[in-house]
Amino acid sequence: MPMILVGMVAAPGLLLLLMCAHWLTVGGMGENQIRRSMAVVATIGSLLALVLGWGLFEDGEIRSGVMHWIAVGSYHFELELVVDRVSWPLVMLTNVLVALVAAFSIRYMHKERGFFCFFAWITLFWFGALLAFTASSIDLLLGGWELVGVSSVLLIGFFDERLDPVRNANRVFATYRLADLGLLIGIFALHSFAGTGSLDAMGELSGAGATVVALLLLMAASGKSAQGPFLGWLPRAMEGPTPSSALFYGAISVHLGAYLLLRAQPAIEASLLAKVAVISVGLGTALVATLVHRASADAKSSLAYASMAQIGIIFAEIGLGLPTLALLHMTGHAAMRTLQFLRAPSMLYDHHHLRAAAGGSLTPTGTHYEWLLPQRVRAWLYRVAIERGFYDAIVDRWILYPVLKMARWCEGFEPGNTHGAKFEIAPQGVERTQLEEVQG
Amino acid sequence: MPRGDGARIPYRGDIFRGGETGDWIGKEKHLLSAHDSTLANKLHHLAHFLPAQGPIGVFVHHNTLHAFQHLPFEAAVVEAGRLFGAEPYWPEEKFRYALDHGRIRMEDIETVLAAEGRDLDVRRVMLYPGVRRFDATTIRWQREQTDLAMQWRDDLPHAARKRLERQSPAELFAFWLELSPEREAERIRFGRPQEGVLFHCGQDLDAAIHPLLIRLCGAFLDQGMAYWPMPRRSEGFWRAAVDVLGQGFSLNAYEIRDLGRWVKRWKEYDSEQAVQAALVALGVSEAESDDLLLAEMLALPGWAGMMNQLEQNPELAPYEMVPASLMDFLAVRLMLTVAGVSSMLGAPDKWRGTAKPKDMAEEERLVEAATLFDVSQMLGLGTNELSAWTKEERRGFQTSVLEFTELERRRVWQAAYERRHERQVLLPLAQNARARQAAAIKRPAAQVFCCIDDREESLRRHLEEVDREIETFGAAGFFGVVMSYAGIDDATRASLCPVVVTPRHVVTEQPAPGAEETNRQRQTLRRAWSRFAHESLVSSRSLVRGWVGTSVLGVFSIFPLAARVLSPARWGRWMAWLNETVFPEPKTELHFVRGAETAAGNDGMLRGFSMGEKVDMVAGLLSVAGLKENFARVVLVLGHGSTSLNNPHKSAYDCGACGGRRGGPNARLFAAMANLAKVREGLRAKGIVIPADTWFVGGYHDTCHDGVEYFDLEKLPARLSLDFERLRVSLDVARCRSARERTRSFAKSEFDDAENALHHVQERAEHLAEPRPEYGHSTNAVCIVGRRAITKGLFLDRRAFLVSYDAAVDEDGKNLMKLLSAVVPVCGGINLEYYFSTVDNEKYGCGTKLPHNLAALVGVMNGNEGDLRTGLTWQMVEIHEPVRILFVIEASRERVKSIMMENPLLREFLVNRWIRLAVVDREAGERIWMFRGEERWEEIQGSDESLPVTASSYDWYRGRAGHLPVARIESERKVSA
Repeated sequence: MPMILVGMVAAPGLLLLLMCAHWLTVGGMGENQIRRSMAVVATIGSLLALVLGWGLFEDGEIRSGVMHWIAVGSYHFELELVVDRVSWPLVMLTNVLVALVAAFSIRYMHKERGFFCFFAWITLFWFGALLAFTASSIDLLLGGWELVGVSSVLLIGFFDERLDPVRNANRVFATYRLADLGLLIGIFALHSFAGTGSLDAMGELSGAGATVVALLLLMAASGKSAQGPFLGWLPRAMEGPTPSSALFYGAISVHLGAYLLLRAQPAIEASLLAKVAVISVGLGTALVATLVHRASADAKSSLAYASMAQIGIIFAEIGLGLPTLALLHMTGHAAMRTLQFLRAPSMLYDHHHLRAAAGGSLTPTGTHYEWLLPQRVRAWLYRVAIERGFYDAIVDRWILYPVLKMARWCEGFEPGNTHGAKFEIAPQGVERTQLEEVQG
Repeated sequence: MPRGDGARIPYRGDIFRGGETGDWIGKEKHLLSAHDSTLANKLHHLAHFLPAQGPIGVFVHHNTLHAFQHLPFEAAVVEAGRLFGAEPYWPEEKFRYALDHGRIRMEDIETVLAAEGRDLDVRRVMLYPGVRRFDATTIRWQREQTDLAMQWRDDLPHAARKRLERQSPAELFAFWLELSPEREAERIRFGRPQEGVLFHCGQDLDAAIHPLLIRLCGAFLDQGMAYWPMPRRSEGFWRAAVDVLGQGFSLNAYEIRDLGRWVKRWKEYDSEQAVQAALVALGVSEAESDDLLLAEMLALPGWAGMMNQLEQNPELAPYEMVPASLMDFLAVRLMLTVAGVSSMLGAPDKWRGTAKPKDMAEEERLVEAATLFDVSQMLGLGTNELSAWTKEERRGFQTSVLEFTELERRRVWQAAYERRHERQVLLPLAQNARARQAAAIKRPAAQVFCCIDDREESLRRHLEEVDREIETFGAAGFFGVVMSYAGIDDATRASLCPVVVTPRHVVTEQPAPGAEETNRQRQTLRRAWSRFAHESLVSSRSLVRGWVGTSVLGVFSIFPLAARVLSPARWGRWMAWLNETVFPEPKTELHFVRGAETAAGNDGMLRGFSMGEKVDMVAGLLSVAGLKENFARVVLVLGHGSTSLNNPHKSAYDCGACGGRRGGPNARLFAAMANLAKVREGLRAKGIVIPADTWFVGGYHDTCHDGVEYFDLEKLPARLSLDFERLRVSLDVARCRSARERTRSFAKSEFDDAENALHHVQERAEHLAEPRPEYGHSTNAVCIVGRRAITKGLFLDRRAFLVSYDAAVDEDGKNLMKLLSAVVPVCGGINLEYYFSTVDNEKYGCGTKLPHNLAALVGVMNGNEGDLRTGLTWQMVEIHEPVRILFVIEASRERVKSIMMENPLLREFLVNRWIRLAVVDREAGERIWMFRGEERWEEIQGSDESLPVTASSYDWYRGRAGHLPVARIESERKVSA
């Protein structure tokens, strides 16, 4: 049984190595080869996951063997995989959804220049997600977490011949880095307070330790799941091909944050401050995201914000101490959103058929705002909704520009530069090498 | 792009320079009255440059460069390319590839160059082996780091290499470098505020204002996607946007932080005043305003174009009427721009200015020298010879080389490309004329009318191969029936006719007598289902209902997801079975009988057609096709359309003659009319004798899954069942074979069994992930107007529109005139749409389908904030050859020319060379003449293209990829494969 666990997690990793080897030697794999290998590994992975599920009936968890990585003084870093009743549904879901989305993408990405790249990165993601879900220590979880982040950013910037995907991928990457600070520092905190990085040690934390660890992990989870202060990056991620949007931001990647919180749940329970923080972040995001969703007029943004709202509720459920409900919610939500994202382009004709079947008109939505809210409040709320909660404006003005200004000031120390540059800072700056002298 | 001409033009804004806090409003009002009130007119003219594509649910192919149609083709594509920043022709690399693979021959290049008659040697050599492309940014590195100037090229012609022996490349390069004149870099003037801001402070204003503007446009035009409709939408875009943007307690983006000030200042204005105020604030004079307004509109052409379309044709909005206005759009856009400039630069008129480009004068000289170096080595001219030339000769050589720019070269390549295509089509056609035998006058087993669509070419050909006694005809897919139609399941009416025609008649589909109860039950169930589906759609995305839904039911989504992705055909069949069981379809009939008195409904539309109109419609179709007697016992009329999933561009595959919709109802109505005894009486009076035992059947052919559906079969007389069965069986075999031929272009493994090919295309129509359900009008290149006899048995590779026309029954040419005035704009429009989307898929087309996001249910954009994309996707044009359509008309030259010249639109198309025209002169021995402009006709003769003979279509295309030449199919016996 432990070997099955290791095999299931290693399978996509080995596939990735195989793909890289092919690329280095013969320049890539053909479409048919990729199709066959993905089909084989996906089927094997799903079957192994089923076997693990059956094995979980008897024991509460399955652990693979421990590999001691580093031991320094009283700090131990161990590599071990574990699957228990919390992570098994997510592991199963990952395997099944990756298989289905890959089957979808084989057709969808046919004849694309980036066919091989796409599947290489999907496999990278697959491996990272499985690693993150089956990590028994937070250090190993970080590995999977980062792999998921990298593959998600690479896929956002998939159409690199255009500027917007690359620009947006950069911003998402920056958001991930900032949020992952929470995870990194949280790892140190966990080691420091509990003496070990094992996720079981969450239950041993109490008092200040629990609060610190829980809040830091909340920060990391919010970044990955687009909650709280990090809620603006999700629509930017829609620049990638539709199947990657579905898999990442409908299904797995965006629930990874919630999974982290599920693992940190004992620590959250032990700290009132953390509980309040998690619930308020969750509910707050849910309310803002629903508001923004209401005014979204395009398919992918609409789905993105709807996802965000549901994940906010999942966070709140975890904060309230209902992990089973949260898990059920997560799996259902992931499956449903994947289908909705994949079918997003159908909305045009779906809407047409619905209208025709209804006899020409559908029940208008959003009319209850008319009698619920006074006009001024309504108008203001609409502005908040259409400006997406002013998120980009806030981030640009109070985080981005100050940092860039400071960087500019530091540049003044370079030889040949002077302090006090007279130009405005440009976060979306464009190369000015083509022009020299500008006159008014 | 910044323009040249650094002269400073005085502008009205001069009078209130200095003092940002000056009293703007008073001075503004003074100037507002001074601006012309013809701003609306100006906008109306400028709007022609915007894309003319309406909401994407109904896709109509048209000339992408319709605003430039009054110019000759070569000038128009260059002008448009300059304005839109797009490519006019394919790149040289593609043409050179075509030359290497025999698609272009050297003789084509020779002929084209000879026709232009200048600098033949220089030009020929610049095309092949071809002058290399140098550009200013890399030339220095190339010269210093590579052996550019050190060695002769590898691909020099042998004679040239011999002449250059023992001469020095470096000397030659230096020789030309010396002769290149010095030049001054021109200052460039900023044409738009965005350019000024960009170069003053490195900030892209478009990137700052577009996200907000796009979201506002999407919310305003929304046809039902958003839960919360935009407040005050009914008052127009300007009013609604000002209302939103004027709200307090809000944070503007940093780049437009002054927005609140400007909104407050202008919110009492209407949009025209706001535009004028913005122009004044930006310091733009009357003379410059045209350019600025156009440039601002073209910064976001998709959304501006959609606003314009919905303003001009409000009925195009599929579900919700929106009071769109281009003036409103411009007002909002300019207000955001003014706010941006004033935030970034302090005052809104500070963006003006000029800039000196980086000094690339030396690099430009090097580029020129390198080009001349290339050309002289290819001609074998070394320093020895050149130093013997006089100054004038050298200068003449320089001019002729530098004049033949890349754009010019590509123009010549395109002409050679098209010339080869002409000969590939016309020479075999001429040879076919000699080879074919006269048809035996026997009563055909069946006759089939298809649409002129190029996809039907293969169905017709296979049908005639399978059963030699079946005759086929081509007529525009609406079959002359101009109507506003509502099917039994449709909630609203749709016009099933070409877009340029407005229907005045309404036809509805009603349940047949006895089937009313079934229908009522069905509609009730459908309404219930619709309510349920809509509710679950909305709730799955809302907060509380979504919570309940996803927790409880969400996980069950795995099953439809898995089924649709892993076995789509089976899922499709299961859904069809479910539909049949739960919502059984009642028998229906069309209501179209109108008495002699006009029965106008309360919307001014007439219900049904009168007997006279019916006779006219049927006669119109049959006489144009030349079918006046010798009718078969069964005549099938096939409309067509397409099915696909997950495809916002589905309408682009439907019948263009029906305005981007399915032509089934037209075929059904035509057949029903032609079966009426009274109609047949009327037809007899017009000379069309339909025997009493002939029956018309209407049908629908789905070009995606090659399914054929027949209408009203219960009305078919029993005595004809054997004849109909024969037709049905032949059609089944033919569509399998046609499907097999289509799979060739899908780059799938070969299907030996035609049935498997049919299953494959059926699966493609049901597959959620298929970005290429079919290829539509891709590869279209020719339109042949004439009798089927001139094309029967020819393998035209699904590239030809085939229109049945018989000049023998058309004494005064009226039929041809009617036909051409419909067919030329439609086929020309389709061809030009494909041409431009192929040549520049990013600017004229809508790029690859993969990142497309449905916006407001009116169009697609990339990502979550992008311009609305217009044109065709890459997946639709990737196999298309960008050639202008070649009309081949079987009539006399005089008649064709006079018809084309009389109709202004046709004349524009022809004289400006947007289409190519050839005539098959039946009287003069079936010779083929090509129209070459003015009064010239050139006879097409030659032996450079042959007409191979093959036993069947399958033998011809089996195992071969890509475009195939025309072949003649001669099978002595019925082929079994």
